[in-house]
Amino acid sequence: MTRGNHIKAKRKLASSPLLDSYRPIPGVLDEMVDAQGQPRPIWKRFISVIEELGADELQARFARADQYLRDSGVYYRVYDRDGASEREWPLAHVPLLVDDTEWAAISAGLTERADLFEAICADIYGANRLVADGLLPAGLIASSPEYLRPLVGVTPVGGHFLHFCAFDLGRGPDGGWWVLGDRMQAPSGAGFALENRVATTRALSDIYGEMHVHRLAGFFRRFRDALTSMAGEPAGRPAILTPGPLNETYYEHAYIARYLGVMLLEGEDLTVTNGKLMVRTVSGLKPITVLWRRLDAAFADPLELRPDSRIGTPGLTEAIRAGSVTMVNALGSGILETRAMTAFLPGVAQALTGKPLDLPSVATWWCGRETDRQTVLANFDRMMIGPALSTRLPFEDDNTTVLGSSLDSDARASLIRRIKADGAAFVGQEAVTLATAPVFVGRTLEPRPASLRVYLARTPDGWAVMPGGFARIGFSLDNTAIAMQRGGQAADVWVVSDKPVKQESLLPNERDGFKRNLPGTLPSRAAENLMWLGRYIERSEDTARILRAYHARLAETSDPDMPLLADIRDYLEPYGIDAEAAIPDALIGSLDSAVFSAGQIRDRFSPDGWLALRDLSKTVHRFATQVHPGDDATRAMTVLLRKIAGFSGLLGENMYRFTGWRFLEIGRRLERGIQMARSLAWLTRDDAPDGALDMMLEIGDSVMTHRRQYAYAGRRSLVDLLALDPLNPRSVFFQLDRLKHEISHLPEAGERGHLSPAAKDVLRIHTGLATDEPGDLSPEALNALGDDIAGLYTSLAKAYFA
Amino acid sequence: MLYDIRLQLHYDYDRAAGGSRHHVHVAPQTIPNVQRVIASSVSFGPTPSERSDFLDFFGNAVTSVAFRSAYDELDIRMSARVSVSRPETGLDVSPKLADLGGEIATVRSLAPDAPHHFLAASDFVDLDPAITDYARDSFSAASSVTGIANDLCDRIYADFTYDGEATTVATKAADAFAIRRGVCQDFSHVMIAGLRGLGIPAGYVSGFLRTIPPPGKERLEGADAMHAWVKVWCGQQAGWQEFDPTNGMRASNDHITVGYGRDYSDVAPIVGVLKTTGSQTGEQAVDVVPVG
Repeated sequence: MTRGNHIKAKRKLASSPLLDSYRPIPGVLDEMVDAQGQPRPIWKRFISVIEELGADELQARFARADQYLRDSGVYYRVYDRDGASEREWPLAHVPLLVDDTEWAAISAGLTERADLFEAICADIYGANRLVADGLLPAGLIASSPEYLRPLVGVTPVGGHFLHFCAFDLGRGPDGGWWVLGDRMQAPSGAGFALENRVATTRALSDIYGEMHVHRLAGFFRRFRDALTSMAGEPAGRPAILTPGPLNETYYEHAYIARYLGVMLLEGEDLTVTNGKLMVRTVSGLKPITVLWRRLDAAFADPLELRPDSRIGTPGLTEAIRAGSVTMVNALGSGILETRAMTAFLPGVAQALTGKPLDLPSVATWWCGRETDRQTVLANFDRMMIGPALSTRLPFEDDNTTVLGSSLDSDARASLIRRIKADGAAFVGQEAVTLATAPVFVGRTLEPRPASLRVYLARTPDGWAVMPGGFARIGFSLDNTAIAMQRGGQAADVWVVSDKPVKQESLLPNERDGFKRNLPGTLPSRAAENLMWLGRYIERSEDTARILRAYHARLAETSDPDMPLLADIRDYLEPYGIDAEAAIPDALIGSLDSAVFSAGQIRDRFSPDGWLALRDLSKTVHRFATQVHPGDDATRAMTVLLRKIAGFSGLLGENMYRFTGWRFLEIGRRLERGIQMARSLAWLTRDDAPDGALDMMLEIGDSVMTHRRQYAYAGRRSLVDLLALDPLNPRSVFFQLDRLKHEISHLPEAGERGHLSPAAKDVLRIHTGLATDEPGDLSPEALNALGDDIAGLYTSLAKAYFA
Repeated sequence: MLYDIRLQLHYDYDRAAGGSRHHVHVAPQTIPNVQRVIASSVSFGPTPSERSDFLDFFGNAVTSVAFRSAYDELDIRMSARVSVSRPETGLDVSPKLADLGGEIATVRSLAPDAPHHFLAASDFVDLDPAITDYARDSFSAASSVTGIANDLCDRIYADFTYDGEATTVATKAADAFAIRRGVCQDFSHVMIAGLRGLGIPAGYVSGFLRTIPPPGKERLEGADAMHAWVKVWCGQQAGWQEFDPTNGMRASNDHITVGYGRDYSDVAPIVGVLKTTGSQTGEQAVDVVPVG
């Protein structure tokens, strides 16, 4: 910006339409403007710049940010009456600005708080001094489902229970920050904070560069380094444990795993042997020594925690007791989130640190204490009343947590009766009016209640505080309306300095020494999903090729009873493919399965690859409702084949040739070999109808080559080109060549000169075919060849996926 | 009393199970003022790939085993020699129910025998209003906590029918209560639910029962199987008292303890996920033989 722009900006500010139309709520503090409606210092520059951009330019820029999020496939999962669905990430484009001196105070307060929680957790699972001294009620702890008895008396291997925490903060009417919730179990959203940052800076890159906003990458780098050093590489590795793709924040788990370069695992990837936690990989069992879990502790081990958990690892608790793995955070730390616990924090803080907390919680009363119960009943209208043992945030707990004054007289009497009868079950919390932050509604800025989520990570040098986080912005003026599930928005948080800030990236500086990381190991489940992705994509392509040839002929003759068409229908029928439908369900199914397989391993996918795959799936679903048999379907298949080729090209050109790629490639070659052998057997049989050979050449995409290489068209020339030719990328032999190569490069395929069973199998089939002549390959022989290739899957699965 | 106890658990699987991990709670241990274990051993067939023994939160002996290769039947054998000697039931020194809450609150401890662990609902024991109402009748009949427990124990014995077919190992307290039928596990869960509903801490005791009938008396139920009964916290002074609602009696020197828990799930003889798609069948054989 030049000096002239500054002056212009200042002049404009005098009559700022954005500010003029902004109406803060009387009596409620606003982040952007003061009580007189004047912008606060750190917001002045921001407002003048967006004002200057003009409404049209701003809308275009916001659209760009949204486009970025869509292109990256950022979503979150919502649960409602109709089940679960993926929603676009609701980015509120205006960031929340916080001055970095104020941020320093927040950081110090949260660090103190994190230390306090560490001490409480260590005491609850250790000496129990707080209970003995009457600072925590034994009954409250013992009745909490988050109090995990199998972990009592277990000291974490590194000495710490907590490694990654989050806090939800709100600003009260007096301008001070209050802690609304402490997230100590498996806090989510750190990855979304990163994505918010990337998207927001897409829209506001110039002002972001100018405003001295603290960078986020350094925080993640320090945490990753902490994980790696705790893991003690190369003997052990860190990993992230996710409940799986159905979890509401799975996208974020995959994103963080990819961003940090850490393995993303599910419970079934892990097993425990002799007290050690191991991941099943294609190279055998490998030790995991740090597990950043993103699932609730109760689900982590069906043997000692919840027996009905299907996403856990039996024996994990034993591995923890044996001291072989550090949990981030310790199993059992969820008890710290118990809402009633908040009522005891002031006393515990005073006893342990000799002073009150700098960043206090919202005032909380546990009705299991008689004096607290009296306070709650006496101030009923001003209380948020909810279950004592809930670990949800009050504003996310809309079914069970209510504002006293919002109840009608019956509900009120009933709740008061229940509090009197069973006080221990209830907690009252002061209803805080949250400060508002600006959000665009259409083209004008409007105030909405905002809360702030901040992350802390333990490093060898103590707690690191993420300089930023994400803000939740309500969709209405209702304070409880900020939860994402209910349609709130998320905004980036800019911690703004008046001096230039350090530019940081996740990559260590090469000046610090060049180091080549160990290649990652590939979990068996990921390998299996990659292989199936390859198979489903190839199956979709093969099906589309046959269907295109079918519909092209149907369009020419308009006679579905023509022998060749009937013959193709007969061929496809056993595979569940109904050629009479323009877009058979089986084709949709195989593309959906490809998306599903890829969805299981989002961390291994580039956003581009994922987008291309999603586009394929959307296209085929759209076609299913629009396309008619014949010419229309021919063109639809051409579109699908082009998109499949695009996806394959993306993988071929962009995927690093490591073990994962080999499994994907093996899947594709396996499927193509099987399909080619089978269709060739069918269409080259003696009683095949007229036109079958031409059709086969078309399906095999080899019409031109055939014309060049053979003087005539017959059964043998086709078999020669499509089964035996080593140079034709569609031939069966070509697939076996590729399979032989890839399988021989898999882990332990040729250990000490001995071939693995799969390597032997593929060599046998390859050699057999290499010595065959076209005349040897009768339809029966071709079918047997297809079966042999299909059999390779079994030996591979046994060796690598078991 | 001195006993030789033998237990054999046998499981057959439709299809071979493999890669499984189990926790086994079958071995009695020495418990002051209850019993002394002179010898005990637990063995498995096939031999597990891994085995370790530890004490769980409640102080129960747990044998953890893992099998890496597949098997289609599993045998667990336990044998022990145990001397049981419980103190005589003395005078009722338990408080009135109205004063019990205050006494519980004075226990500033999360030790395994602290009453706090045994008040809330647990996996098999919901605080079912119907059971609480049922238990409340015992409250009017007697005023002390021990008296209430005694009365409830007797009423369950009188009102419920012992029926091995009516319930399964997974039946919850409320379901057994609705049909007034079941086995020792169900009777115990119902009694626990009733007591907790009244605010009385109550836990589950798993063990064995000597089943040879004394001359002239009816044979006790619970033969040829593991047994279960209830422990009740009757205030600071009276402490834990044990009741057997299946037989309408206090736990005696015929009751040999394996473990304590909030309900069956804490002390089930065998827990663990089996990786098999087929069904499984189990048998158990128990011998409790008085020695000398």
